Amino acid sequence: MATSDEHGRGRVRSAAVAPANWTERLSEQGFAYLLLVPTLLLVSTMALWPLVSTFEMSLRADALFSAEYVGEFVAFENYAELLTGQRNAILGSPFLDFGQPFQSALTVTLIYVAIAVTLETVIGFGQALVLDQSFRGRRWVRVAILIPWAVPIAIQGLIFWLFFQPGIGVGTDLLQGLGVFSSNPLINTTDTLIIVIVADVWKTSAFMALLILAGLQSVDRSLYDVAKVAGASKIQQFRYITFPLVLPALLVALLFRTIQSMRVYGIIETTGGCSTLPSLTCMVVSTFRSGRYATSAAVAFITAGIVALVALVYIVKFADLEVGA
Amino acid sequence: MSNDSSSGAESGPGASSSRRRFVKAVGVAGAVGLAGCQDGAGPGADTGTGDGTGGDGGGGGTVEMAMPSNVTDRAEDTRQALYDAGLSEDIEVSFLSTSEISGDVQAQYRSWLNAGRETPDVFRMDSGWTIPFVVRDQLVNLSERLSDDALSMLDEHYFEAPLESARAPAQAVGGGGGDTDTGTGMGGGPRGELYGVPWQVGFPTIQYRKDLVTDAGFDPEGESWATEPMTWQRFSEVISETHGNADVEYGFNWQGTDYVGLSCCTFNEFMTTWGGAYFGGRDTLFGPVGDRPVTVDEEPVHQALAMVRTLIHGSDDEYALDGYQQISPNAVLEWTEGTSLSPFTNGNAVALRYWPSGIFEAATAFEESGDLSPDDLGTMPIPYAVSQDESEYEGIGGTASALGGWHLTVNPNSPNVDAAVQVIEATMQQSFRTFQFSELGYLTGDQRLFDPENVGDVDPWGPHLETLQVAGENAIPRPVTVVWPDQSSQIASRVNAVLAQQQAPEEAMSALAGSLEEIEQSV
Repeated sequence: MATSDEHGRGRVRSAAVAPANWTERLSEQGFAYLLLVPTLLLVSTMALWPLVSTFEMSLRADALFSAEYVGEFVAFENYAELLTGQRNAILGSPFLDFGQPFQSALTVTLIYVAIAVTLETVIGFGQALVLDQSFRGRRWVRVAILIPWAVPIAIQGLIFWLFFQPGIGVGTDLLQGLGVFSSNPLINTTDTLIIVIVADVWKTSAFMALLILAGLQSVDRSLYDVAKVAGASKIQQFRYITFPLVLPALLVALLFRTIQSMRVYGIIETTGGCSTLPSLTCMVVSTFRSGRYATSAAVAFITAGIVALVALVYIVKFADLEVGA
Repeated sequence: MSNDSSSGAESGPGASSSRRRFVKAVGVAGAVGLAGCQDGAGPGADTGTGDGTGGDGGGGGTVEMAMPSNVTDRAEDTRQALYDAGLSEDIEVSFLSTSEISGDVQAQYRSWLNAGRETPDVFRMDSGWTIPFVVRDQLVNLSERLSDDALSMLDEHYFEAPLESARAPAQAVGGGGGDTDTGTGMGGGPRGELYGVPWQVGFPTIQYRKDLVTDAGFDPEGESWATEPMTWQRFSEVISETHGNADVEYGFNWQGTDYVGLSCCTFNEFMTTWGGAYFGGRDTLFGPVGDRPVTVDEEPVHQALAMVRTLIHGSDDEYALDGYQQISPNAVLEWTEGTSLSPFTNGNAVALRYWPSGIFEAATAFEESGDLSPDDLGTMPIPYAVSQDESEYEGIGGTASALGGWHLTVNPNSPNVDAAVQVIEATMQQSFRTFQFSELGYLTGDQRLFDPENVGDVDPWGPHLETLQVAGENAIPRPVTVVWPDQSSQIASRVNAVLAQQQAPEEAMSALAGSLEEIEQSV
């Protein structure tokens, strides 16, 4: 009996000691990964669960007549109908129609992203180059450039809405006089797209400038001294020193801005409105508000897929740079 | 050296004991954490029933009402008014503040009701989206709960349009044939049963500068403008002549931007007063979805669009109607309520189409201006183009005011449904309605409060009650169904595009009819 007890205690002890011994035998790297497992599990659950749940919702029918959020399982019907235009009447605007690029949500979003991000990058780069110089009052210039970035989207939208509101702002009369805008820009798709892009560039160029400035300030100044001694012009210095060394920071900035721009909603809703200028996120919100949660989930998932694809382009480019380095 | 020593400890023999201690410590902490979770659930678990019904209901006689801030700010007065109206003092009334934005309130309620939440017990629901909740069986059937006296009072003294927007629709979707759609899962409760009691109503009218029209030689009182609607043609002539004679910037202001207010209300009025409709007559306003006619691509609707284009763009417009004057600024195409109101309250417009709150705003602004007085504010019903007799559809034509307002409904998950119904009955008492009218500034659905003899000369409503009474009798609800949000945005976009001369009326209405039909068939 005593022998049996001792045997049992021995088994318990060895069962308790075994994990400790196993951790002892782990390499430094292995032990580090072991410690990270709980965090990774938590983060994966938090990141993946909403995605899986949204995807599951997107495979169901809308339930307009029931207290349930979604109806029966319909597989990929929502996706097929969205991409083939069979849901355009419900969406208010076409999801994808190359024949109407300024009315279709996907093309409007891509046009907006391409123009806004390009302008923000160019202007942000210019601002960063200025801020990288030493001059009197640099601190105040930095503050001035940063102020638009600090303005909340709702206020930013209101500023531009008021500027182009008949009877209140002078923007419409001014630009209509120059032949740029129609008499009612906030109900005109093209005019509203321009207003939204300008508003976004005004606010977000500072964000690009800050990230690019961080890259610029990490460039070793002695490289420029060497370049000067070697007789390199300013353009050559930019092309062969500044740009290659800032490119990793620039790519990170572009990645952030592109992802953010693909989800544009607030500035549209506060200026011309989603019915005037439909974006992908506008469609998610409008279908959600209509109680079509399954359709909304499908649009959201397609949007996430497109954003992921765009992000992948940057990530591949970034990996190429690292391999090259 | 100390740094070296430290790093040496991480990789040297000391690391073994560090790891062992760390793993042990994490194990103990984890065990304590788990135990803590279990302990934390313990006492709370005693109070719940475990079946999702939420314990004992929190005291039985407490009724929570979801209300906007202007009520919750006066919670004590409102509570007292309920008790003064005969509510038992055993029932405690509390208030939950909700958003002022209708769409946000709707989303919040849907979320709560889908989750089976027990409170609030009483919801304040927009008449523009109560029916979808009825159709989804998410509200208490008040026809079965209200006393006979209360139901008789509603039948006898309340405007019909607000009540219609609180009843189970005749049929939610096409194809059913019985007296109830409950069994199909697609249509709420028994047809015509009441699920909400009007709390507040809103009927737009034309508000105008009486001093300016009088100066221009018109006689509003002699011609009984307050109660006898005029035609749109005459209205355009009056405003045009007055505008030409006055030193103000705008003629007739209204709300025409691409938003829900255009489809539900402003254009709904223009169209109805021309004898047109979205889905046939009043009997098919609320369904059956997919089995009712789509009637936007018809002559009265084209005519209404042509008239509105004439009001904005004048006789130069390709589709201008003869005899109508240009009286509205191009800016109406971007205006909503706030932007259209301020020029009028500033004394810079002849007339305004607006909700009753505009009467209060304008009268107050005129009084404060020094140049004007509340007596300079006149009101008239919305003008018309064809009479009801001339319209193809029953109850369409003549003057028409879009129905706005809110209902009180009861949460079916509430453990205090009886008490909640008693609170609603208290709100229907004359003393409480008078409190709402005179203290909270609400027009209620009780027609007796539109009679100056019953309420006295309450500023600033007194001179305008007769006009509001006419508007209430001719109110037209929006065609609320579960697909109305989708249809509403399509209508607003197309109509706004036509008014902005971006599309031709017939072409746009033909495309709109196709979209509306597609949405009808999508359920």
